Amino acid sequence: MLLELKDITIPTEDGKCVIVNNVSFGVKEGSIHAVIGPNGSGKSTLAYTIMGLKMYNPSQGKIYFDGIDITNMTLTERAKLGMTLAWQEPARIDGLTVPNYIALGMKDKTNLKEKVIEALEIVNLEPERYLTRTIDESLSGGERKRVELAAAIAMRPRLIILDEPDSGLDMIVIEDFLNIFNKIKNLEMTILLITHREDIGMVADYGTLIWRGNHIITDEFPKVMLRYCAKAGLKEFCKRTLFKNDGTCFDEDYIDRIFREEGSS
Amino acid sequence: MTDSDYPEEILQSLEDYNIDIRDFLPGHGGGAKLLLDFNKIKGVEQIEGIILKGREIPNGIVADVVIKEGTKLEEPVHLCFGVSKETGIQEIFPRIIAEDNTEVKVQAHCSFPKANGLIHKMFGHFYIGKNCNFNYSETHYHGENSGALVAPVGYMYVGENSVFENNFNLTKGTPGKVKIMLDIYAMENSVIRSNIRAFGKNIKDSVRIRDAIYLEGKNARSVLKMKAAARDGGEVLMYGITEGNAPNCNGHVECSEIVLGKGSICRARPFIRATDPMSSVSHEASLGRFPQKWLDEIMAKGLNEEEATEILIEAMLREE
Ligand SMILES: Nc1ncnc2c1ncn2[C@@H]1O[C@H](COP(=O)(O)OP(=O)(O)OP(=O)(O)O)[C@@H](O)[C@H]1O
Ligand SMILES: [Mg+2]
Repeated sequence: MLLELKDITIPTEDGKCVIVNNVSFGVKEGSIHAVIGPNGSGKSTLAYTIMGLKMYNPSQGKIYFDGIDITNMTLTERAKLGMTLAWQEPARIDGLTVPNYIALGMKDKTNLKEKVIEALEIVNLEPERYLTRTIDESLSGGERKRVELAAAIAMRPRLIILDEPDSGLDMIVIEDFLNIFNKIKNLEMTILLITHREDIGMVADYGTLIWRGNHIITDEFPKVMLRYCAKAGLKEFCKRTLFKNDGTCFDEDYIDRIFREEGSS
Repeated sequence: MTDSDYPEEILQSLEDYNIDIRDFLPGHGGGAKLLLDFNKIKGVEQIEGIILKGREIPNGIVADVVIKEGTKLEEPVHLCFGVSKETGIQEIFPRIIAEDNTEVKVQAHCSFPKANGLIHKMFGHFYIGKNCNFNYSETHYHGENSGALVAPVGYMYVGENSVFENNFNLTKGTPGKVKIMLDIYAMENSVIRSNIRAFGKNIKDSVRIRDAIYLEGKNARSVLKMKAAARDGGEVLMYGITEGNAPNCNGHVECSEIVLGKGSICRARPFIRATDPMSSVSHEASLGRFPQKWLDEIMAKGLNEEEATEILIEAMLREE
């Protein structure tokens, strides 16, 4: 396992409530691993805690990266080990140019321009149009998210955590993103993909379902998705859209059984 | 004039800004230029469409720049006010007139690489006519000893339908004592963008900049951005004023200042005043440290907090 969470519990800043409760799962090297769950279930909190942001300290449990206990490491130390996070809503910063931003995490800065261009191409941004831009308010939401991805990719980390890379994007763009994820995977990076969209999740090899801060299941992605539908009571949706034509059909009986287990029909 | 006539220290002094003054020497590049070494005029180069004249006075010079009506210059007009001595008084009286329908960029470089008790004063008058596009950029370098006392004053009149962009940069080296006062008067339909950037780096650095924009004409618009950082005891005050005195005028003042290390002080005094019921003026100011999220996003790329702060300061003070 490249990343492993063991019994992670994350309290709120004031310590009064628990946001994520006793969660354990592992992420295999080279895989796309989706974390799904409804709004407010604790996905972003989990991502920030894995990355080591201040104020996100587990009260219990351990996090391992490539076998190393990173639970008490700082954000910078974790990034140096080869992991990074692309934010759900990346910041807008006046004066910071797109190339400078993309170059921030590059270890080897020789042939910088070529590398920046390559990173922009991976996320399907025409390099000539962006080399002189800054990451301020003038970029559209989708452009800013792509630049964020490009900067993360340019680091060549072993693990890249994407927090809702799909939020605020339309369907046509989604196709494009699936494409980008595959390119990232081909560069031998492991992706931890946080999303609550099943169509995005379908690129994932594995998945983890988080429900109200609790870990429900970690398995091959379709099984996780099925469990999500069962908990949410989305049987019709599940049968109609999810498990057709992709070689991962479950039979009716199996689907019914899972729904019964979750107390919905 | 050959390159070697001009003090080497001044030629090299703006390297940190990525500016090579050699490019602006007479005989290099196509723009008009006026070069000063302390209180002596070292070179003047005219081009068609403009009048550039310098007159030496006891403690400095009077420099007249007239851009003739309809002139559109591709290459910037370059004014270099250098002093390679440690001490002395340099007083400059620039009088700049852009006649109607002109487009020009003026780059002024004030470079005092060895300043140690040096006094530089400037009394500038700018008159910008109608339908002009006037870009003025002034870049300062006061050496590394906080040894300069610099006190420029500028009055700028911006005529109807004109765009005036002002950039003041004092971000490399140590400023010393700096006191700047600018008054910009904006007439009907004019657009003012004024960007002030300064960095105080030790206890001997004290920078006070007062930039006032008076929106006097209908539909006049302005954005005043004042950005600063202070470290190791340095002190910066940004006093940004905008008055809305005409119908449908719109102005905004923004101050962002970063404080680094103990004893450093940043102050911001955005002052807005509206005297016309149809005017609109606003301000925002943020002082202290960068937002944690900005730092996190950069640190997630493997940099530590200090490095991330450096990167953000560089970006903040970068000329756009
Ligand atoms: N500092 C905090 N104090 C109290 N509650 C918090 C705090 N931070 C987050 N929460 C709560 O924890 C829960 C999990 O939030 P989180 O942002 O991790 O959810 P999410 O799964 O990423 O949701 P979304 O899909 O909307 O992005 C939410 O109910 C949120 O309101
Ligand atoms: Mg979230």
